Amino acid sequence: MRDSGRSTGGALPRILATACILALAAGAAAGTDGAPDGVQAGAGTPPAAAVTDERDEPDADPWQGMNRAIFWFNDQVDVYVLEPVARGWRWATPGPMRTGISNFFQNLRFPIVFVNETFQAKPFDALRTFARFGINTTLGIAGFLDPAAEFGLEPTAEDFGQTLGVWGVPSGPYLVLPLLGPSNVRDTGGLAVDTATTIIPFFVDTLLIIGPRLIDVVNTRARFLDEVEEAKAASFDYYVAVRHAYQQRRRAEIDDRGREAGEEFVPDEDLYRVVEP
Amino acid sequence: MRTCTGSSSPEHFMRVALIALALTAATAAAVVPRDVVQRTSDQVIAVLGDQSLSREVRRKRVEDVVIANVDFPTVSRLVLARNWSRFSEPQQEEFMREFRAHLAATYGRRLDEYRNETVSILGDRRESNGDWTVKSKILRGDGGQNDILVDYRLREVDGEWKIIDFIIEQVSLVANFRAQFQDMVARGGPEHVLQVLREKTAKGEAIAS
Repeated sequence: MRDSGRSTGGALPRILATACILALAAGAAAGTDGAPDGVQAGAGTPPAAAVTDERDEPDADPWQGMNRAIFWFNDQVDVYVLEPVARGWRWATPGPMRTGISNFFQNLRFPIVFVNETFQAKPFDALRTFARFGINTTLGIAGFLDPAAEFGLEPTAEDFGQTLGVWGVPSGPYLVLPLLGPSNVRDTGGLAVDTATTIIPFFVDTLLIIGPRLIDVVNTRARFLDEVEEAKAASFDYYVAVRHAYQQRRRAEIDDRGREAGEEFVPDEDLYRVVEP
Repeated sequence: MRTCTGSSSPEHFMRVALIALALTAATAAAVVPRDVVQRTSDQVIAVLGDQSLSREVRRKRVEDVVIANVDFPTVSRLVLARNWSRFSEPQQEEFMREFRAHLAATYGRRLDEYRNETVSILGDRRESNGDWTVKSKILRGDGGQNDILVDYRLREVDGEWKIIDFIIEQVSLVANFRAQFQDMVARGGPEHVLQVLREKTAKGEAIAS
């Protein structure tokens, strides 16, 4: 069962996909004003001094003040620019076209995924990724279609941040990147390496890169319109909800190595212990 | 029916009905966690897909299904973890009530977005503490690109298997809410949590109606 590595493309969609955690059922919609609820903490927030201990506080976030500020900025950009544009995009384009575009950009991630699977000593995944690229680039018309998935070759999501995690590099503090969203020190480094591996020839004009990239971002955002809205409605502190989801998801993605060897991903059992007063 | 039994007296009907009822009860007792998930999702999907019902009725029914199958007292305690004991008894009661309303409303709200999704159960496993995890995938068409993995964690409470967590794309809902509440308790204590919860529920209700 290779369900774990089911790819959602770049970092942004993955984060947004995890944002749908709060959708409970299957992700869907609600109407809110989109403002993150709960208290806008940050400056002047006392450190978590109450009944918490190491086990309860795995989300080390020493840069919370700065992170919250950047998170707020990103949210403003999303609410006033990206989300409306994505909504228009969804209105203007047919679903299969959006899926095709999403497939196309995913196919372009081939070198990143392949290299990282190799780095993580996952020969079968690497082979599958290679086959996928071959099939989808040809039969799939430059990657717009995904016939490989129909042959049972499901996409996997790998990046250098995960590779570093597999190698034992700790995540470091949580970090919200301007425009790029949730990350941590390790994954930011990984992102820089992955960007260098992207399949865009260095001699191509910057404008030619930015155009498609923008389409990718808008198209991806359009896939998660309902989920993000729902996540905002369902959470009490959207910042913490996203941070936690990002960290959990990354941990699970890095752990998929164990799963491949036939072990199941086991959640922290402590989570399910009812604490008696 | 009539041709089989040759009798159609009300007494006979009553007897058959009682036997049927007893059988149903017996089956229900032997229900395994997997069946609970299957039944719950079947029920939710049946309600969501029934366009003959009004929006309000559908919403109410989905909420009822959720409330019947989720063990909210356990969820509430897990979500608050150590902070549970910082809440007084009335505060605990209120938390449970408000949190349940919040979750039910969240679930109920999605009915407008129902797009013929189906649920496929992928497998189940027993956890070390006796809980069960049932793995499922919500199929949303579009070539599987937007499918969502949902694991349900179930615990036997008073002889019945109830859902105590939803793990969506490997992120536990209980853990996620726990992180949020931890922050909030640390910042403003139980009263702050309840305050935010109340506001949220009131807003949720407003959205739904």
